[in-house]
Amino acid sequence: METFQYAVRKLIYSIPLLFGVTLIAFTLMVYFGPDLTYSLLGKNASPEQIAEVQRELGYDQPFVQRYLMFLKEVVTFDFGNSISTGEEVTSILARTVPISFAVALPAFIISNILGVGLALLAAYHRGGFWDKSVMIFAVVGMSVSYLMIVIAFQIIFCTTYGLNWFPVQGWIDPPPDYIDAGFFEIAYYYWYYYWLYVAVPTLTSIFVSLGYNTRFFRAVIVEELNRDYVRTAKAYGIGNGKVMIKHVLKNSLIPIVTRIIISLPFVIIAGNLVLEKFFGIPGVGLVTYDAITNGDLPVVKAVVTCTAILYVFALILTDIAYKIIDPRISYSK
Amino acid sequence: MAKKLITSLAAVGLLLTIPCGCKKPFSDREQDNNVFRFSGSGSPVTMDPAAASSTYENLVVTSIYDQFYEYKYLARPFELKPKLAAGMPDVSDDGLVYTFRIKKGIRYADDPCFPDGEGREVVVQDFIFSLKRIFDPKNLPQGEWVWRGKIKGLDEWKATGSDYSQEIEGLKAVDDYTLQITVNEPFPQLVYTLAMGYSSFVPREAVEHYGKEFSLNPVGSGPYALKSFTTRKAVLAKNENYREEYFDLEYEGYDPETQAWVGLEVLDGKRIPIMDNVEAHFMKESMTRWNSLNKGNEIHFGKIPTALTHMVASQLKPLKLKPDYAKKFKGMSLPDFGFVYMSFNMADPRIGHNQDPERDRRNRLLRMAIRKAFDWDQRNQRFYNDMGIIFPGIIPPRLDAHDPDLPESYVKADYTQAREYLEAGGWTAENLPILEYGVTATVLDIQMFEQFRGWLEKIGYPREKVVLKTYASFGDYNRAVKQKEVMLIPMGWNLDYPDSENVLQLFYGPNQSPGSNTSNYDNPEFNKLFKQTKTMQPSPERTELYQKMNRMILEDVPTISGMTRNNPYVWYHNVVYYHSDSPHGSLLKYAYMRPGSTGEGMN
Repeated sequence: METFQYAVRKLIYSIPLLFGVTLIAFTLMVYFGPDLTYSLLGKNASPEQIAEVQRELGYDQPFVQRYLMFLKEVVTFDFGNSISTGEEVTSILARTVPISFAVALPAFIISNILGVGLALLAAYHRGGFWDKSVMIFAVVGMSVSYLMIVIAFQIIFCTTYGLNWFPVQGWIDPPPDYIDAGFFEIAYYYWYYYWLYVAVPTLTSIFVSLGYNTRFFRAVIVEELNRDYVRTAKAYGIGNGKVMIKHVLKNSLIPIVTRIIISLPFVIIAGNLVLEKFFGIPGVGLVTYDAITNGDLPVVKAVVTCTAILYVFALILTDIAYKIIDPRISYSK
Repeated sequence: MAKKLITSLAAVGLLLTIPCGCKKPFSDREQDNNVFRFSGSGSPVTMDPAAASSTYENLVVTSIYDQFYEYKYLARPFELKPKLAAGMPDVSDDGLVYTFRIKKGIRYADDPCFPDGEGREVVVQDFIFSLKRIFDPKNLPQGEWVWRGKIKGLDEWKATGSDYSQEIEGLKAVDDYTLQITVNEPFPQLVYTLAMGYSSFVPREAVEHYGKEFSLNPVGSGPYALKSFTTRKAVLAKNENYREEYFDLEYEGYDPETQAWVGLEVLDGKRIPIMDNVEAHFMKESMTRWNSLNKGNEIHFGKIPTALTHMVASQLKPLKLKPDYAKKFKGMSLPDFGFVYMSFNMADPRIGHNQDPERDRRNRLLRMAIRKAFDWDQRNQRFYNDMGIIFPGIIPPRLDAHDPDLPESYVKADYTQAREYLEAGGWTAENLPILEYGVTATVLDIQMFEQFRGWLEKIGYPREKVVLKTYASFGDYNRAVKQKEVMLIPMGWNLDYPDSENVLQLFYGPNQSPGSNTSNYDNPEFNKLFKQTKTMQPSPERTELYQKMNRMILEDVPTISGMTRNNPYVWYHNVVYYHSDSPHGSLLKYAYMRPGSTGEGMN
């Protein structure tokens, strides 16, 4: 009950935050975002036609009126239609967010699990061979350009210059019309193609994020290892493995979980632009990139708003997780 | 805990490797599938013919929708042929009334927008409706300029509120299959405009049924219907209602001397569309596109990335592939149907037209000096693999009014002569104006600027006086150009139809910014000639006047021109396809893949 009340209280407190985020985002989009007028004009535009396009886009409305309209869209969660394609913005999100999520999730899970594991290994052998090896690997992962890794992995795993195991680009198509298969065959079809298309983006993403995760997690764990209780536990003869997992890891979980949960909104909404672009994955990252470059304001507004809302939820979730990790934490002031 | 962790990791690892070892689902049947996959460098945003303006959009739109006319597949120079039209139009003696007839019994693709989902017959009233949509601002149309001021009553219809129930004097449906178009003054390019994607026959039912999402749900009577569309690809499937049409090699303009190597003979007599399915993949990353093409079982046709051209080809003009690639691919270099050029903003008195006759004279000499410093050969070598076609003036070689006799000196750099022009104009390092070179903020554009600044330094132009002005996107750049804010304007122009009028109008005074005359050139004599020629039917007399206007541009120097870019394309040996850029649209219906005889590495 205490947790629920806390969550509701946090939600109410987050309203001004959301208000501020939307105002800043909207102001930036209106004043610094691309002006779509000149992209939508034909080759031989007349001044009248420029005025018509601006009227149709609502650019001739005063700022306050436009912002109020935007707030109405946020409240009703109806962002209208994309200016470029005419498709309903909510249907664009419904179509693309699950794809980005499906692409990012395996890498997100694996890189965090591996990151914690390698951090434990490095911290446990602090200053030793394993620590140095893991840190060298982490620094390499952090230093090499993401773009280069994408290109290299694509060449190694997807092309005839390399192993040629996976497709270069693409995403799961619906099963062909002629398929007259049962549920399990269709499920197998989707499962097969899902892993086929997601494997290399996942490996790429793991390679890139593992370095950052490992370094951060290691720092947290090393700090915990310096605490008195660790020395005491060891003095009592508790095994090193048990000390690391049961005590050190458990007590380091708060910053680790915070980092993991806070990055969730970006996994869900922001997608992974570079991966989606290079691997031809029709996720929300690609749509957002196109919307920004095309000046498709309804789509950009929806993505910004959804990210802000999810971020607020992630913050609340983090606080709830604290309580689960450490029941001594109280939500009362 | 540790045990569980290791088990989880092992399970995830195993899951990742399983697809490599498992049998591809339904693979036996899939290989029979009749799909041609290709990728350009851009992607269509809309498939609403009223708004579809890019080459990528045009390719898809003209495959789904019918227009009155199209271009013969293989004829060069381009030649029109009827598409939905029953023949070429009858034109009244005064050149004001065009009568078009369309084929009977043509049906739209089946779609839920029609009663019982069955596509109805195409009638000329659909074209009238479609043209009204282009003049209705609510649709954010891009094609209005094509017919603005041309068809009797159409502009007035728009001015009075775009009421669809109102008739337009110049658009008269004589019956369901006959349309009479009355123009305000002779408009010889009208027939060309009716081959553009903008002139597609759109059924009203689809527009009303899909509302704002009509652009994603195109319904036409063309050879293909849209099966699915995402930001990644468009899948087109044969329109089952498509009329019975067969490929006629000779009629399409086949030239055995230049085209025999493509293997086009196999198409003769085949029913159109030849492939059941076509996939347009949208890959903006050139390396991804190349990897996908090179792989063998993904896309079948695409462009060689500029960075890899020398790795793949042993010779570029004409394209000759290295043996390893020649085993796999056929290839050709294909010139754009347009050109790139750099204009001076003639509305800017520092460099363009000036009220003071003396300054006007000196400005012209300054422009001449800059043109003389502009090294097209070097630009071609550094940025276009030396594949571009350089020509003096603004009429590119593939147009009939192109003048091959113009001296090459107009496009050859000569720093000594450039310095002489500066001297003749009394220009010194101290009094030279600051030049602002406008571009979008891309690496390539900025590199081109640096090259340009280097040339000007060679003629004594102080480095600090050649200034880069960057814009975040092409939209921003375009806005600045349309508002006459940019002083030096690098531009590209894709021709809409093979008539030199389409490039000469770029320098017609009344077309000044925000119109297409971005140089804001305004020469009364040129304007007079343009007005005279725009109502003239093609003739040697018109060609002569076109060439005269071209020479005027060379003399007045409102622009430095020009070069037609050339792109190297490759496709697998089992693919039979002859690509062409604008103004061609509906090419996909001719694409063919030979069964059984696959290229190396193909599935």
